Amino acid sequence: MNGENFILEMNNISKEFPGVKALDNVTLQVRPGTVHALMGENGAGKSTLMKCLFGIYKHDSGEIIIDGNKVEIKDSKTAINLGISMIHQELHPIPYRSVMENIWLGRFPMKNYVLFKLIDNKKMHEDTINLFRNLNINIEPNTIVGTMSVSKIQLMEIAKAVSYNSKVIIMDEPTSSLTEDEVDHLFTIIRDLKNRGVSIIYITHKIDEVLKIADEVTIMRDGKKMGTWVASELTRDLIISKMVGRELTNMFPPKSNVPGEVVLRVENLTSPFPKSFKNVSFELRKGEILGIGGLVGAQRTELVEAIFGLRSIESGKIFIKDKEVNIKSPTYAKNHRIALLTEERRATGIFPMLSVLENTVIANIKAYRKPSLLLDNKKIRKDVERSIEMLKIKTPSYKTLIKNLSGGNQQKVLIARWLLTTPDILILDEPTRGIDVGAKYEIYTIIAELAKQGKSIIMISSEMPELIGMSDRIMVMCEGRMSGIIEGNKVTEEEIMRLATKFIA
Amino acid sequence: MQNVKIKKTINFISQNFIYLFLLLLIIIIAFINPNFLSLTCLRDILLQCSTRVIIAVGMFCILLTGGVDLGAGRVIGFTAVLSASMLQTTDYARRFYPNLPQQPLFIPILIALLAGVVVGILNGIIISRFSVPPFIATLGTQVIVYGITSIYFDLPPNNSQPIGGLRKDFTFLGSGSIGGIPIIVILAILIAAIAWLVFTKTSFGKNTYAIGGNRQAAEVSGINVKMTLFIIYTVASLCFAFAGVLEAARTGGATNNYGFMYEFDAIAACFVGGVSTTGGIGTIPGVLAGVFIFGVINYGLTFIGINPYWQYILKGIVIVFAVAFDIRKYIAKK
Amino acid sequence: MKKAGVILLTVTLLLSTVFTGCGSQQSSSGNTQSKPTIGVAIYKFDDTFMTGVRNNISKAAADSATVDIVDSQNSQPTQNDKVDLFITKKYNALAINPVDRTTAGVLIEKAQKANIPVVFFNREPLADDMKKWDKVYYVGAKAEQSGSLQGQIVVDYWKSHPEADKNKDGKMQYVMLKGEPGHQDAELRTKYSIQAVQDAGIQVEKLAEDTGMWDRVKGQEKMAAFLASLGDKIEVVFANNDDMALGAIEALKAAGYFKDGKYMPVVGVDATAPGVAALKDGTMLGTVLNDAKNQGIATFKVAYVLSQGQTPSKENTGYEITDGKYIWVPYVKITKDNIADAQQ
Repeated sequence: MNGENFILEMNNISKEFPGVKALDNVTLQVRPGTVHALMGENGAGKSTLMKCLFGIYKHDSGEIIIDGNKVEIKDSKTAINLGISMIHQELHPIPYRSVMENIWLGRFPMKNYVLFKLIDNKKMHEDTINLFRNLNINIEPNTIVGTMSVSKIQLMEIAKAVSYNSKVIIMDEPTSSLTEDEVDHLFTIIRDLKNRGVSIIYITHKIDEVLKIADEVTIMRDGKKMGTWVASELTRDLIISKMVGRELTNMFPPKSNVPGEVVLRVENLTSPFPKSFKNVSFELRKGEILGIGGLVGAQRTELVEAIFGLRSIESGKIFIKDKEVNIKSPTYAKNHRIALLTEERRATGIFPMLSVLENTVIANIKAYRKPSLLLDNKKIRKDVERSIEMLKIKTPSYKTLIKNLSGGNQQKVLIARWLLTTPDILILDEPTRGIDVGAKYEIYTIIAELAKQGKSIIMISSEMPELIGMSDRIMVMCEGRMSGIIEGNKVTEEEIMRLATKFIA
Repeated sequence: MQNVKIKKTINFISQNFIYLFLLLLIIIIAFINPNFLSLTCLRDILLQCSTRVIIAVGMFCILLTGGVDLGAGRVIGFTAVLSASMLQTTDYARRFYPNLPQQPLFIPILIALLAGVVVGILNGIIISRFSVPPFIATLGTQVIVYGITSIYFDLPPNNSQPIGGLRKDFTFLGSGSIGGIPIIVILAILIAAIAWLVFTKTSFGKNTYAIGGNRQAAEVSGINVKMTLFIIYTVASLCFAFAGVLEAARTGGATNNYGFMYEFDAIAACFVGGVSTTGGIGTIPGVLAGVFIFGVINYGLTFIGINPYWQYILKGIVIVFAVAFDIRKYIAKK
Repeated sequence: MKKAGVILLTVTLLLSTVFTGCGSQQSSSGNTQSKPTIGVAIYKFDDTFMTGVRNNISKAAADSATVDIVDSQNSQPTQNDKVDLFITKKYNALAINPVDRTTAGVLIEKAQKANIPVVFFNREPLADDMKKWDKVYYVGAKAEQSGSLQGQIVVDYWKSHPEADKNKDGKMQYVMLKGEPGHQDAELRTKYSIQAVQDAGIQVEKLAEDTGMWDRVKGQEKMAAFLASLGDKIEVVFANNDDMALGAIEALKAAGYFKDGKYMPVVGVDATAPGVAALKDGTMLGTVLNDAKNQGIATFKVAYVLSQGQTPSKENTGYEITDGKYIWVPYVKITKDNIADAQQ
């Protein structure tokens, strides 16, 4: 390639999951001894691309070239042998074992004892100490990992990735649970690795970090590559515009709702956990759509789950129609006519093996109990059929198993489920995640219609256009704190992004 | 300072609960009947525990990976029948193989062990290659093994008759002793010692802990998870096979019903001994303590003359409470 | 912490040996008591017949001896463990109902080594094993007799009820519900019941034979299957025990038998309480009583005499002794006419 020297090239990689094109012809080229940042919004495809590189996913097309040789990476072991190591974002260590066992797992130092080849615990201990000394990490190698703090575990994972002596180290959001000092510590380690000729692929959405440490930056959006830039040529605003830079076409229905009196007031809500939300206050009006924006980890989900009674609260007050309430569990929330559509549709929302009918009425099943304690099937069927019609759920029949429906229709069933409980306040957590564009519009229409009918809606979304297009007002959170509330019609994506990163160093 | 001491004591108790419980059990039984504290009783208990230790060690390997083997008992029955059928005295009236000449002792034993290994390989392939959950895979193979054992057992001229008249040199394995220590006890100690070495000192052992603790993490650390699982099921089955041979030697006979439900005793002993139900936690000394707790209950309660039905109730209580208490040390840390 | 565990385990084990000296002394002093202790190992407690024997052993012992009765849980290894315990406790005599009769040799050797006499009961050890030592006895019934008596009951019925030969071919078409395959009683009852019929000059034809594993539910299932495939061709049902006979009767009832004049002769063995009830209401033709009372008494008597260091004889036990070591307790034929005999 024009005599250009790359340690790693991923050329024209594509990967499709059922219904979603996760990677569309993405190319990533990394030079030796550099830090290459990989940026993008949530769901842009950064982690998917790296999982293809580390042999966790198999890409559909494209080629991977390491050191000029085309390679086939069929599992993680191959990747490790090719000189790639990775700090995983979601992977947890083996909690019941010691730090050194976690680090040297799969390649313990061995020693010959007469007949047997046994693990050389002494050498393993020494190696760990040496490794930690080089990286200036202070952890006792025999500590059981399960007893350590998250940031210590993160440091251990970093040390583990370094210990492979790899040519390329992938770091997927390595600072997500580190303190400021620890981040500086990590940067020292990264600079040191760089000097030794190691390349780092650094995945993050924290712009300041990128500007501080990266040499080159590749930005992705919607599974496509937006381009690669030299870091010194980029500014914060430039990065933001590249990351979000999509046009706001009229993909949203016209809104005609008129917000009325305050129905929900939250005052200084604080979680018992230090990393979670603190001192959050806001109001929600009748017939209003309140958007909540922010980056992953801004504790938005935690906040609404606390309002719904799923999480405990350290201090703060919740008022419903000016009356203070104590929501101890979702049952209380239901009684106060609050409904929550969870973020993880598959994990906590749908019952995949049950039919559309059962999925629709499950939250409201008590309402169908006859005096004989049996269920009034006729009424259930009538209500489900009405829901299907009203929300335009595309399903062959109410008997169809919900897992056979598309993501958008599954989401509509969930909305139908909560509407049957006749809520006044409907909380939607990422209501359009993983749903194709056409179905999104239908969901937006439903949301707008509900607001018009006088329902109050809180909508968490990581998609800027959605927030701007749908919300009457947008509350932005950052690091558990509220960083601002903006009126919906005069907001720009850049402003939201600025607020979303307000407290991030 | 005082507070620290109390905390330390509580910590010590919760860390070593199983062993303290065993001690307490012995003290209570000895208090009721001091004769319990005698060499003969110890010898009897060790004798009764030895095959159970071997089975529990095999089960431990599997439980550590987060799996289970419901076929342990049937493998025991299989290998007991197989070894016994080839080790009858030549002058015994109802021989399984009427014309089989006297074999060197090790050949029939080796054949029986091999048969056990074959079952293990089968389990290993089904579980690691075809990703069938171990519960279901072994549930299936145990029925198959029982069927094979029964067909073999029913072969003419035996026609499902219990196999007796075993050779002295074979029964010596089960009832003889060297220097006052029963051979079977020595064998059990040997196997436990090897297992201890493997699980504390070899990479294979550590890999097994890793797979049980977090399979995905083990995979991305470059461990060949499928191969490890395959070996684990094979080795475990070898343990069961060996236990089956020893059961035949100990009782001097075998039927196709030998070993029935033994797996549950082994599983219970492992859980009581601190092995996690989800895998990744457990030690060989813990498993030994678990086996001994049941050994002491079995023997000791009969010794002091407690109604056998009450022994069942007590065993059940021990299983539930020992595990409930033991599990606290992990919950506390979350 | 891990090390502490290992040490504790070791200490626990060692502790039991510390008191060795005084422990064994104490147990030897227990020997000299005038009231002997007899260790009794039953093959399994949840067996109706053996429960009868067990109760009669306890009753017979009364105040003359202490009996320690244990459950072997239908597992020979468990029984060996229990016998080891008896020997350790230096009991004066053993009464063993073996789980697996072919492995009695090992038990005999154990007893011989400790010089504690043994009485086996209900399940007969092999003759070779019985010869190993002179202090080994056996109390039981001759299994073939139970089969013969079953056959005789059927013969009596067949001869007095010509309509029993439904197809009038002069042959008896029967089905057989066997106990556990390989079980001595099952094999012998199967063989001798039919032989008794043949000995009486009646031709037989076996329509089907299957194992009900001594079990009522299985007996019912197998009988239902027979009825489905053979229907009215069946003229007599033999069952190796009452439980299976009762199961067969349930299946027959479901198929319309025992009402509107439709009848089927069913015979079992054991004369259990439900079996006797079936005799009373006319659904079961007959059964054979394995005399639990006399087996229990005889077992205890022989063990007791042995525990006193004497040699059992007709005089000191009240039972005839055959070949110097066998006590045969006869079976009793039970039909509607002598139900009272079964309710002893």
